[in-house]
Amino acid sequence: RGKMEEGKAYSPDGVFAHLEMLEARAHEAAVKQEETEQQEEKLARLKARVQELRLQRDELRAKVDLQQKGQLGKEGVVSDPAQPSARAVLEWKIKSVKAMLQVFYLTGISGKLTKRGVCFCISTAYEGTYLDSYHLDLLTKAEVQIHRHSVPIFIPLEQIAKKYLQTDIRRFLSVLSDHLNAYAGRRYQADQLQDRFSDRIEGTLQRNSLCNLLVFNYNVSSKSKTFPFNVRLLYGDLCCSLPTEVTVSCTPDAPASLAETAAAHSDLFRRVALHKAFRSFSSAEES
Amino acid sequence: MDVTVAEYIRRTVLKIPRDEIKTMLRKWGFLSETQLQTINFHQIKENISQDVVQLCEENSADIKQAAVLDIIYNHIYPNKRVWSVYQMNKTGEETEFFDLTDFKKKFKRRLRSALKNVTINFREYEDNAVWIRIAWGTPYTKPNQYKTSYVVYHSQTPYVFISVSVLKSNLPLLCQALVVASNYHDIHEMELRSHSLNSLKDIVFKRYSQNFQTYYPRPLQERNVAPENGDLRIIQENRNEKERIQRVNQEVFGDGPQPKLEFAQYKLETMFKSDPKMDVLDEKEPFRCLVKFSSPHLLESLKSLAPAGMADAPLSPLLTCIPQKARNYFKIREKKGFFPERFVSP
Repeated sequence: RGKMEEGKAYSPDGVFAHLEMLEARAHEAAVKQEETEQQEEKLARLKARVQELRLQRDELRAKVDLQQKGQLGKEGVVSDPAQPSARAVLEWKIKSVKAMLQVFYLTGISGKLTKRGVCFCISTAYEGTYLDSYHLDLLTKAEVQIHRHSVPIFIPLEQIAKKYLQTDIRRFLSVLSDHLNAYAGRRYQADQLQDRFSDRIEGTLQRNSLCNLLVFNYNVSSKSKTFPFNVRLLYGDLCCSLPTEVTVSCTPDAPASLAETAAAHSDLFRRVALHKAFRSFSSAEES
Repeated sequence: MDVTVAEYIRRTVLKIPRDEIKTMLRKWGFLSETQLQTINFHQIKENISQDVVQLCEENSADIKQAAVLDIIYNHIYPNKRVWSVYQMNKTGEETEFFDLTDFKKKFKRRLRSALKNVTINFREYEDNAVWIRIAWGTPYTKPNQYKTSYVVYHSQTPYVFISVSVLKSNLPLLCQALVVASNYHDIHEMELRSHSLNSLKDIVFKRYSQNFQTYYPRPLQERNVAPENGDLRIIQENRNEKERIQRVNQEVFGDGPQPKLEFAQYKLETMFKSDPKMDVLDEKEPFRCLVKFSSPHLLESLKSLAPAGMADAPLSPLLTCIPQKARNYFKIREKKGFFPERFVSP
């Protein structure tokens, strides 16, 4: 000690040594302080944990009491309507809203309010197969106007709008939906015919954008000989997916019995979907 | 075989890229498969075309068949021509049945009654489109096969796509024939032109992606969500603004690819607005000016302006209304009235 004090007062080496010593002391003190602080933190945490566990214990006790009381009164186990977490509630809400929207979509006409009006979605289907969807963006501020849409140009949208849009929006949507669904159905039948029965069709299938006039030739076999039939299907009602006029004709040199077949086919085309009619021809010929 | 027909076939084959010649000849169907096998498609095009002409000679090709090959070429490469869109009107409300045979008969009859020297060819395609090729002559000369007009018409629609070549004088006649054949009353040219025929169709048939607000849940993958990976040391300072721009852009342009247009032209006939003290223009006349935007793909480049930081979002409606208004040629005049705002002519 004495030596140190001496060093402190007089020689530079001593000063450095003294500084080192002070540094070491300070370091020690700091370490100790840190330790104490950590200890205190730990203590506080443990105390908090104790509180938590006490709370839990109280809760469980209360539950057990409740359960016991409940068991006295009723049969069976009373399941505690445990408070569902906020997250679970939100998830359930989202799921049920999505389901509701899906239901609306499946009904064929659904809509969403927009800043300036409503946006409708008309989805089409034919005999259980869902086909394309079309949209209409309507403005409703002043008079009802179509702002934009994705309806095919050959659907008489303007005509239908002129008749019903201002007066009866429901009727407008219903009529438009009928047009779109019928068109989707006609197109589906023509596509199915081309895809699945192309071997029976001679040459090209003449069709048009609305699929309301189909003209083609197909083969009919009778007594191991094939005869070409020509058919012209006219769909006069744009809201209908079955033809209103059917003309089935065979070549002049065909046997008389075929005239009956032609008449039968003509009748079938009027009543049944096109591809289904062809399916029944195939099965009839096989039998 | 006519010498002019042979030359025409030779020149048509020369236009086709070498790799596509065989496929196109197959589509044409005029030469048999055995005949096609005899051609060496690896030699230079000059020789290939000579071989083809030789075979056509054997089959006695006439101008009708040669015209079909030309239609096939133009159908596969429509973007080599400039197409204009025309709109037809009718007042009747009867349901259209569109009988193709009827249409072709009426068209030919109307056109030929006015001008005998024309070559008319039709070809139908799966998407209900009818392609019409017309080679024009004069009352005294045979049709010039190198001066052709093309018409593309989708049944039961009011739109016709026409690519006229040099002879604009035949246009009224062509329009008349179209109106008669399709049972419409009149026809006028729209302010919509492009090289890309399919994009023009997308615009008028409303086949491009419009962003409709629906509740039908779209899978999240459809939307372009920028990946979050990357250097964590880099912080996006203006993330909010970037997201706002993306959102606005999506509302205006939709999610899908834009129709392909090469230019938009704005003809200004507006008053020059200057500091009254400066009094630049003495006469109170509109300042005539033409602004033309050009691009290999105009709408895509407009769509990328705001995200690239080169323009504010939302863009001017004069630019963004192009697909919806189905026009890329505009005339802007002063709005007559109290407020001297811009007025776009219909």
